[in-house]
Parts: sequence; C-alpha cells; structure tokens
Amino acid sequence: MPAVLGFEGSANKIGVGVVRDGKVLANPRRTYVTPPGTGFLPGDTARHHRAVILDLLQEALTEAGLTSEDIDCIAYTKGPGMGAPLVSVAVVARTVAQLWNKPILGVNHCIGHIEMGRLITGATNPTVLYVSGGNTQVIAYSEHRYRIFGETIDIAVGNCLDRFARVLKISNDPSPGYNIEQMAKRGKKLVELPYTVKGMDVSFSGILSFIEDVAQRMLATGECTPEDLCFSLQETVFAMLVEITERAMAHCGSQEALIVGGVGCNVRLQEMMETMCQERGARLFATDERFCIDNGAMIAQAGWEMFQAGHRTPLSETGITQRYRTDEVEVTWRD
Amino acid sequence: HATAMQASGGGAGGAEGRDDQHSSRTPACQSGSGSAEGEDVHRAPEGRGGPGRGRAVIEAAVARPGGDTLRVPFQLPLEADMARRSLLPDAQRHQGLIRKEFAVNGSDLLVRWTAEDLAFIRLSMNPFLDQLSLVIQNIQSLGPPPRQSLS
Repeated sequence: MPAVLGFEGSANKIGVGVVRDGKVLANPRRTYVTPPGTGFLPGDTARHHRAVILDLLQEALTEAGLTSEDIDCIAYTKGPGMGAPLVSVAVVARTVAQLWNKPILGVNHCIGHIEMGRLITGATNPTVLYVSGGNTQVIAYSEHRYRIFGETIDIAVGNCLDRFARVLKISNDPSPGYNIEQMAKRGKKLVELPYTVKGMDVSFSGILSFIEDVAQRMLATGECTPEDLCFSLQETVFAMLVEITERAMAHCGSQEALIVGGVGCNVRLQEMMETMCQERGARLFATDERFCIDNGAMIAQAGWEMFQAGHRTPLSETGITQRYRTDEVEVTWRD
Repeated sequence: HATAMQASGGGAGGAEGRDDQHSSRTPACQSGSGSAEGEDVHRAPEGRGGPGRGRAVIEAAVARPGGDTLRVPFQLPLEADMARRSLLPDAQRHQGLIRKEFAVNGSDLLVRWTAEDLAFIRLSMNPFLDQLSLVIQNIQSLGPPPRQSLS
C-alpha cells in the first residue's frame, strides 16, 4: 500500500497532496492572485510558491495523519509549465527526497490531470478534453501513450479567457475564468465572433485579438454589455471545444468523455459537452474544483501509478522542462 | 566590453585557496564589521533548528569582482552535498549564456559562475540565492538528515 506525496506548482497554484491506494488523504493548495487587469509573472509566482510550500507540506502530512516514514515516494511536476515556479517546487521535492531517503519521480502535469480524472470519476477509457490556462488538448489513450488528437495551435482556451478578463479588469479572485462564467450567466446578446476550428485543432489568439478590439468599441457605444461579451466568448470557444472533442470521439468510437483542467470547472462547458454526449449516446465525466484545478494530489496519483509500474527518476535527472508533451511519456501502467 | 570571468585552474582547489583568505576576515557572528573592502556579507535569517542543533546561521560571503565563487557553510558535509544535489539539476538551464559549477568542500557548498557578461551573472545569482534559501529552510524545518554511510 504505497503512499505518494505529490508537489505541484507549474502555474499560479501551489499544492501538496498525499495519495495512497486510490484514496486522496490530503490536498491543500494556495493560489497566487494578482490585481484585476494583470496576469501572474514567473518570478513573482515563484516567490509566492517559495513562501508557502514548506507550510503546505506540513499541512498535507498533518491532514493525512502521516509522517515521513509512511511516505514511499516523492512525486513532483517535471513540466510543462512556467520555469521559475517549476524550479521552486522541484528543489523542495529533491531536498525532501534526500532528507527522507525516498525515491523521486518527475511527473507530466497533463498526465497528472488525466490520472486524477480517471481515479475520481471511474471512467474506463474516455476521450479526454484537457482545458486550462496553459493547455488545450484532446487526448485519447492508445498503446501505452496518451495521444494528442487535437490541440490549440496557439494559446490555451483558459489563456484566452484570462487575458480577456484583464481587458475588462475582471477580478482574478478566485480565478478570472470563474468570474467570466458568472458574468456570462447574465449575458443576453450573442455577439458574433470568429469561429476557428482547424480540422482536429483549434485556434484562439485571433478570437482574443478580435474580442479585445470589439470590446473597446461596443462598450463605448453601448451596443453590448460586458456580460454579453463574456457570454459570447464562452459560447464560441466552448462550441469549438465540443466540436473537436466530438471529432476525436467519432474517430475512436468512444463512448466516454472526460473533462480535466481548470476550465473544466465551467458549468456551461459541462452542459454543452453533456448535450453532445447525449446525442451520441456517450457518457460525460467531470471532476469538481478540488481536482479540476491544479493540485498536488493529481501529481501524487500519477506518481503512484508510475511508482507501482516501477518508474524511478535518478536525482541527477530531476530537472524541469517548460515544454513536455503529453505523448512523450510511456504509460506502462495501462494495457 | 566585459572581460570573461574564467574558472581558475585547478577547479575548486584554486577557488578554495582564495576563499580562505577572504573568509578568515569575516567572523561568523558579526554582521558587517570586519568585512574586507569590496566584500558583501549577507546574513540569512536564523533557522528554526531543532533541539541539539544549535543556531543554524548561514553566512554567504560573495567575493568581490574578479573573484567568482560563492561559499555557503552548512552544519554538516552531508547537508552541503544535499543542497548541491537539490540545486544541480536546474544549473543546466540557460547553459549557452551562463555556467554554474558546484563543489562541496568539507561542509561548505561552493558555487562558481562563468559568463561572458557580468550582467548574466547578476541575473543568475538573484534567483539562485532565492532557491538556495528555500533549500536551507527546507533542511532546517525537516530536521537532521537520516544517518547514511556516504563519505
């Protein structure tokens, strides 16, 4: 019954989690929130993480009711993500692994999301829509790899939403996406925006430029409200995501869809995906904000699978990497 | 243009020779006084330390320009080596512009920067000191490392 400690800090959330045999024993997390109209920069984010990570570690152990002796393996996010924050977390993982004399494992952040999604929902072999501030991919498992069927060719959907929130000076607390979602519920008018699906892939940077431009004009003339713009942006980008997910599901003959990543918390996105799944006779799976949003336990869970399958990372190879493709990892723990 | 700062021949041994000369003039328990001209003595906050560990005061003596090595004393050789292994994997980043080399001498961690431009060294040192500070706090907060038969 191995227990794995997981460290996550690739963006503005820092989390430490403990997982043992499919049970999440602890999952404390902190979020670095910047003022409205601004985003989070690597150096400041790393500073935030450094200030709280050791306290989070203690919190996790206390919540799990475990000591260092009960932990069998230390897992940390190897990538992808922002450099300085990744490094800040990795140095602690390496130090803890040495102090406690435990093996260490570098985990792919995207795979962390997928494995936690599978664990929590019980989905057997879903087509995965992974959508966050940093990533947008449609993934399906085949022959020991999580294969990327479709993805953004420029920015992530969450990045599009977050940067649009800055234009309207929408609060980043608890997250810009959450506040856009609340405003969108009060939107009444659909503003036509570019719709950019490219085969299996999607593109968001053009939509962002367009809506940034349109926002200035239309809000000045009173042609629409900020709520209308939030509503229109969500409807457009989410429809695009539903389309490419459906395309992958049709290709694979898949009867299950799983949404992971911070944007997966969005209830409107879940509604639209549910409609598509019902039309296909497929089942939709999603997790709540404890696990959708970046967290330590998802790294611990992926680490647990890797540990059980015999993976080990020598300390000298525990670097971080800002670009780490989901399909680079050999998924030896699945058939 | 800035002259290149090269590691002196003989690696850590050469640097150690120069550092001894500086460190003897910077007594551990005084801040500032006794520092040689052009030297910077930075005192990190005291560690929490468990019973029996005493105060863990980290003193980092940054040699003046022309010198190139940071010396960080730890309580035990094992701790210095642990810090080295925790910080080394990230040293490979940005290797085109700046090179960081680590060595352990007794219970001291030695870090040497080499770059064509002094500005790169300054840019590298600041985040590095932050990561180092975190490793030190980490070691202090989790208590003494398990006894290992490492030399």
